[in-house]
Amino acid sequence: MPFDPSQIPIVQIVFFVMTACAIGGAIGVVSSPNLFHSALYLVLSLFGVAGYYVLLSAGFLAVVQLMVYVGAIAILILFAIMFARRLMGQGENQNNQQWWLSLPIVMILFAVLVGVVNTVSWPVSGAEPTGDTVMELGHAFLGSYLIPFEVVSILLSVALIGGIFLAREKVEAEEA
Amino acid sequence: MLEQVPVSHYLLLSAILFSIGAGGVLIRRNVIIVLMCIEMMMNAVNLTFITFSRYLDSATGQIFVFMIMAVAAVEVAVGLALLVELNRHKQSVNIDDFNALKG
Amino acid sequence: MPIEIPTLNIAALTPFLAVTVTAFVVMFFELFVNDKRILGYLSLLGLAVAAISSVMLLGVSPAPAFQEMAISDGYALVLNLIFIVTAALSILISLSYLGDRALQRGEYYALLLFSTGGMMLMGAATDLIVVFMGLEIMSIALYVLAAFNRRKMGSGEAGMKYFILGAFASAFFLYGVALVYGATGSTNLSAIGNWFTSGGGDLTDPIALVGLSLLLVGFAFKIAAVPFQWWTPDVYQGAPTSVTAFMSVGAKAAGFAALVRLLMVSFGQAFTLDWQIAVAALAVVTMTGGNIAALAQKDIKRMLAFSSIAHAGYILVGVVPGTIDGVQAVLFYLMGYAFMNIGAFAVVAVLEHRVAISSAIEEYAGLAARKPLLAAAMLLFMVSLTGLPPFVGFWGKLYVFRAAVEANMSWLAVVGVINSAISAFYYLGVVVQMYMRPAAATEDGEEVVPISLSGPVTITLAVAVIITVILGIWPTPLVNLTSLAVFG
Repeated sequence: MPFDPSQIPIVQIVFFVMTACAIGGAIGVVSSPNLFHSALYLVLSLFGVAGYYVLLSAGFLAVVQLMVYVGAIAILILFAIMFARRLMGQGENQNNQQWWLSLPIVMILFAVLVGVVNTVSWPVSGAEPTGDTVMELGHAFLGSYLIPFEVVSILLSVALIGGIFLAREKVEAEEA
Repeated sequence: MLEQVPVSHYLLLSAILFSIGAGGVLIRRNVIIVLMCIEMMMNAVNLTFITFSRYLDSATGQIFVFMIMAVAAVEVAVGLALLVELNRHKQSVNIDDFNALKG
Repeated sequence: MPIEIPTLNIAALTPFLAVTVTAFVVMFFELFVNDKRILGYLSLLGLAVAAISSVMLLGVSPAPAFQEMAISDGYALVLNLIFIVTAALSILISLSYLGDRALQRGEYYALLLFSTGGMMLMGAATDLIVVFMGLEIMSIALYVLAAFNRRKMGSGEAGMKYFILGAFASAFFLYGVALVYGATGSTNLSAIGNWFTSGGGDLTDPIALVGLSLLLVGFAFKIAAVPFQWWTPDVYQGAPTSVTAFMSVGAKAAGFAALVRLLMVSFGQAFTLDWQIAVAALAVVTMTGGNIAALAQKDIKRMLAFSSIAHAGYILVGVVPGTIDGVQAVLFYLMGYAFMNIGAFAVVAVLEHRVAISSAIEEYAGLAARKPLLAAAMLLFMVSLTGLPPFVGFWGKLYVFRAAVEANMSWLAVVGVINSAISAFYYLGVVVQMYMRPAAATEDGEEVVPISLSGPVTITLAVAVIITVILGIWPTPLVNLTSLAVFG
């Protein structure tokens, strides 16, 4: 049989690679005893999810995901970890004493979520999205979604004021 | 590209990610890891939104994701500021060590 | 593609804008003003403008603002008044409380105003995306406010615990929104409702149902309902008392604001029985759990924290029937609760010692002999919170329970009454301490800490006492006000 490149299921392969990244990273974050490794696993997981965005024709958000999550949030977390490196707490028990209590809760949550997804057959039209997504988003932000867009600026101001207030110069503690 | 990978796969994936994140919040006691787990939960939500946005061919989902990303960044900034502030009082990042408040 | 200029109708959001702009003005003057109390009074001015504009808008027929994203209907405007009362009374407490602790800062008032703005947004939102933004503005500001006393370990801890709890709750809320969006194709509250009434398809109903459940979980965290209360008592205990007063009423009212509109507008036609059972169950465990836990408390702030959990349960009773009478009873309760609960926290703020982190109930022994007026005010708030006549707390409970009885859910009202009886034990325990126990003997050389009752906190106490009594004797004005609360 002659080799036919169009027969290679590229999308599926990419999907499974991304799945390995996303789920593997997520498990790594939760289970790694080393704080620094957890943060790196988080980057891996976020990277995997960004890949899905591309597959789902949301390329713009994939880029935003890489810039905001991987570029800013993960770096901020790494920075905080290094800032408090002596607090990495290696060796001590980092788990909740009642961790076994949480397991059934998570299992139930998971079962419900999976169960409900499987009840629906999800018919697909198969049509590619029409129009330019980025342009569509821009119009939406300055049109029907103007108020949330403007309100984000208030939220950022709140975070700025609060963050600066909390992390500012030392104050002497009143008590031990 | 939804013919090759069905919608339900994405939704299942995001359910898995959300559950792992929720489990991490409940099980781990290190504040920074708890923070990362909450970020993962938000990410799972984002994936669900984008899947539905593609499935329904509506922009609302992507707008919501945009907002969630902004909020996630804000939460990390404030959360880490709180952590730095707490560290001045107590050299620990373990929630169980924060026990000044007990009845 | 030309950009269509959206119809803005900024006027509908005047109260929100007034509060937010004042917050920015406060931050600006923080640079120049040395006496930060002026900023507190400036904030009160902003709140007054917001109150006036809310009242004026009540006379105008409701208009949707910003492309169906928000609305200034009677419901939103009455809620605005509740938020404004809460914020104003808390600022008056803060003016005294912060001054005693050298915490007087412009950021405090700005964040409190931002938080109030977020609450108003939640009350006015008709789209889940705006609910979410309002929720986050309110919460982020509250996380910082809870940690505002940087001299104390407990305050930072309260902020951190509130933050983790709040962010966790937001994740559940968002997942719920995502599933509802996937099922109905919209995040607009009335569009979701229309989708159900037009029989949009049974196909995706399970998805919408699970989405609704996750939304309920998210809101349950926000209003501190059992079993989602977790660290709420820790947060209330550790946060500065003026902040505790603010969030015990404001954050709860805002959570109810968005929850009730969601249930009434979006799910009024669909899953009515499902959410009624869920909310009723939540109400029962919240009332009972809060009251039983409150019995064991030795610290008054923790006691009031558990009592506020129990009050969330009573308010949920008014949500269950899903009638407009129930909604108006909820608003009546919230307004009355704002006065009596903040009044009680004002007494706590006055009595709290500068150094102690706790405010043990034992310290209230003999208060009646030392400060008869203060003790009398506390007595009044405790009786009103128990729900005995002739105070506003009685009418609040009466209207909420009546709404349940009229919807043929008398059993819920009975559970509520039994719970009120349980709550009498711990509320009246404070009264017993104040009136029947002698003050703890002071050791030689130890000075009795003077209780200074002066300044703005006195205004809070006076207003709270007067309103609690007047509305207790003559509730008609507030009934008339809440009867304006209809969905636009």
